[in-house]
Formats: sequence, structure tokens, C-alpha cells
Amino acid sequence: MTNTAIGSLKTLLLWWKRRSVMRLEVLKGITFEVGKGECVAVVGRNGAGKSTLLSLLARIYLPTSGCLEVRGRVAPLLELGAGFHPDLSGAENVFFNGVVLGLTRAEVKERLAAIAAFSELHDHIYAPVRTYSSGMIARLGFAIAVHADADILLVDEVLSVGDFEFEQKCRRKIEEFRENGGTILLVSHHHETIEEVADRCIWLQHGHIHMEGSPQEVLKAYRAKSEPDL
Amino acid sequence: MIEELRELWRFRELLISMVQRELRIRYKNSALGFLWSFVNPLATTAVMTLVFNRLLQNGVENYSAYVLAAYLPFMFFQSSVLDSAQSILGSLPLVKKIYFPREILPLASVISNFIHLLLGFVVFFLLLLGVYILHPKVVPFQLTTIYLPFLMLISFILSVGLSLIVSALNTYYEDVKYMMSVAMYLLFFLCPVMYFEEGIANTNMNVHSHGLWFKLYNLNPVAVLSDAYRKILLAPQPIHTPNGLAQPLPIMWNYVGYAFVISTLIMIGGYRMFNRMKWGFVERP
Repeated sequence: MTNTAIGSLKTLLLWWKRRSVMRLEVLKGITFEVGKGECVAVVGRNGAGKSTLLSLLARIYLPTSGCLEVRGRVAPLLELGAGFHPDLSGAENVFFNGVVLGLTRAEVKERLAAIAAFSELHDHIYAPVRTYSSGMIARLGFAIAVHADADILLVDEVLSVGDFEFEQKCRRKIEEFRENGGTILLVSHHHETIEEVADRCIWLQHGHIHMEGSPQEVLKAYRAKSEPDL
Repeated sequence: MIEELRELWRFRELLISMVQRELRIRYKNSALGFLWSFVNPLATTAVMTLVFNRLLQNGVENYSAYVLAAYLPFMFFQSSVLDSAQSILGSLPLVKKIYFPREILPLASVISNFIHLLLGFVVFFLLLLGVYILHPKVVPFQLTTIYLPFLMLISFILSVGLSLIVSALNTYYEDVKYMMSVAMYLLFFLCPVMYFEEGIANTNMNVHSHGLWFKLYNLNPVAVLSDAYRKILLAPQPIHTPNGLAQPLPIMWNYVGYAFVISTLIMIGGYRMFNRMKWGFVERP
């Protein structure tokens, strides 16, 4: 991805000769396919391009070259609750975020009770979000995303939200989602989670696919490579 | 551009939700809530009536209504441009998280301000009704009021066009919003809101230049619209000028037509510019 913007007019006017434009190529010519109903995990060190990859798939960036084809509706689970407004109630935020994720207002209305139940917020759903704890916000964000009827979930390090019980519930929901033919792309540093849920694993390094295969062998190689660095 | 409009149509539910959210947030923590939308035009009228009708006594009947008729659309234009300037930066966490047509953000700002304009006109007509009840001899309502939706459409198109440009530029250069607030402040004096267009037409400077200054003045579509709103909503009135009493000018439909064309061009150009810039919003450092 490129890093092109100029901080302000001041920078533009005063430093136009050496403005801090830096083009960073994060992902360099990677090719892979994910089939319907598959769960693919992406591992790699910080800055390898994992999150950029998910953002590209969520259509937040346009690729500078190459193409990507996505069939079906994508629901990103990146940074849960980013779209919440603190002064609005949980329910009002559910409406807005549900529509952002591609539901109609009528569909959100149908699911509101299910979302409130899944997030375990119950009557707190009518309280302003600014009164929520971070666990409550994460739970609500997760509940909206899994009730959005997406075909593809993009998960960025968020499977461990809330307490142990809620985590188990999230796992079950994800399993259910997969049984119904949903596709998942998962970025995680949590190797046990990957071995548990993923069918396939991609190791990204400096923007290239370093290795691709079953989670067990990729993670074994990844650990072997990482340990000397520690 | 057709492709982008189709995409926007697919996301119409989101646009509606965004407008609802913006209207909710505005008065969320206030006791009067949505009533505040009425308080602003009412308070404005009260002060204007006191100053223009009572204190200044400039000889114009019901002067505050003439000011309000032009002030409401001007406020709509100003608030929608200034609100939308910040609309993308304000929602950047969301923009960075998920895809939706980015133009929905400035559009929602314009539409929620448009709803306030509608409420403002409700107050305006209630005030006219009040005037009529107090002085039943003169009917203050004009038949030309039927043109109001057409003028509001032009105002809307112009606001959308400028909002798209300003919101896209402000995402890169935050100086733009400060420039715009200065520009809006100055624009207020360049529009016939607190004074009458006939005053401009009858100054020595304009008469000596054979109407050139008047034409230049009306190059500004907001000035044309301010005058047109006043003329379709209220009865024509002779105005005192340094050169004596000036007869009211008729509604200048040629200028209104010009404002319509220029607004449409600004909207099309603004949308193109926005579409070219919108993919870079998330890459702003």
C-alpha cells in the first residue's frame, strides 16, 4: 500500500520539495484462493501484511496492481466496535452497525433480540454505549458481526473477547457459521486457535507468501524460524 | 459515475440510517431534544423582529420575515458545507474498518441539515400565519410559494456538490475547514440576507457601470437563491436607497436558471473529484 497523503497545506507549501511521501509496498505479488466453506489462517510477524490483506479483501483499499475477486458478502470483524457512537444506546448502535454490515433496517429489527441475547447485554442494550465496559463493547460487536448473515468473515485477532464462557460461545458460533457453508479468513498470533479452527494456513513474510499448507506443518516451520530470532 | 450512483443506490439503507443517527446524536444529551431545531429559527426571528422592526424602524413592513426567508436557506448551505467538511475525518475509524460508498458521509450531513431547513420553513409559515391572525387585512402568503420545492432542490444540489469537494479536500488538508468557515462568514455579507438586492441594483457604482456590478454580484448562486427565496415567499416591497425609493425587481428567473446550471455542474464535478480522491482517505497518515 502507498502512503501518499500530505499532512497539511503547511507541509505542502513549506516542504514541497522534500515532503514525506513514502511509498510502501506491503504485499508483493501474492496469489491464493480460498474456497467456499474453507477456514484459512494467516500468520506472520508484525508488518508482514496480514491486516493489509484483510483490508484489501474488505474493499477498504484498492490494490495498486493485480486483482482480487470476492463472491458473497463480507463482514469484517476488525477492531470490534469501531463504529459505535458512545452517546447512542446499544440498540441504536446495533441498528447502525447492522446496516453498515449490509443488513436492511427491517432485518436488524428481527435480529435485535437475538443479538441482545447473544451478547448477554439483556436490558443494558438500551443504555448508552459510553456506560459499557470494554468486554461488553467487544461482545456486542461480535454479536452484530455474526448475526449479519455474511458469507465471508474476516477475523483479525478478535476471537478472544470477553470471558472464558463467552469465548466458548464464540467458538461454537464460528463452528455453526462454518457448518452453514460460511468462509473465514483469520489473522491470529494464537497458534492453538489456528490449529483448532483452520483448514489451511498461509505464512506471510515481507509481503510474500513464504509457505502455505496444513496448519500443523506451517506453524511448526514458523515456530522453528521464529525461535532463533528470540 | 453511473456505476458509483448505482452502488450508492444499493447502499440507500445505510444512507437513511446514517441520517437518522446524525439527527439522533445532535440533541441526544439535551433536555429539549429535537425541539432545539425549532428554537434556532424562533430565537433568530425574535431578535430580528426586535432589531429590525422595532429598534431600526427602516420603513420596511415585517422586515424580519424578509430576513428569515433568506436566512434559513443560507444557514442550510453554511451548516451542510461545514458539517460535511468534518464528516469523513469524524468517521475515520469506521471508514478504515469497512467498505461503503464514502460519499454517504457528506451526503448524510447535507440531508440532516436539509431536514432542519424543512423544520425551519415550518416555523416560517407558522410565523406568517401568526402575522395574518394579528393583521387579517393583508394576506402574507404568496401564490409563488409553489416554486419553493424547486428552489430547495437547487440549494440541495449546490450544497451536495460543494460538500463533496470540501469533505474530500478536508480529509487531506485540514486547513480546508478553517478556510471554509472564513469563506462562509464572508459569503454571508455577499448575499442579500440582511439587506435587499434592490439596494445593490440602485447604488451609484452599479448605475454608472450600466449594471455590471449587479451582474457580478449575481454570479454567486447563493446570492441569487437568497433573493429568489425571499421573492417567491413574500410580497414585493419598495426599498429605500440613497437614490430614493426603489421599486422591487421581479423574480429574476434567468439568474435562477443560471444558479441551477452552475449548481448541477458543481455537483457533477464535485462527485467526480470525490470519486477520484475517495480511495486515498484511509491512507492518510
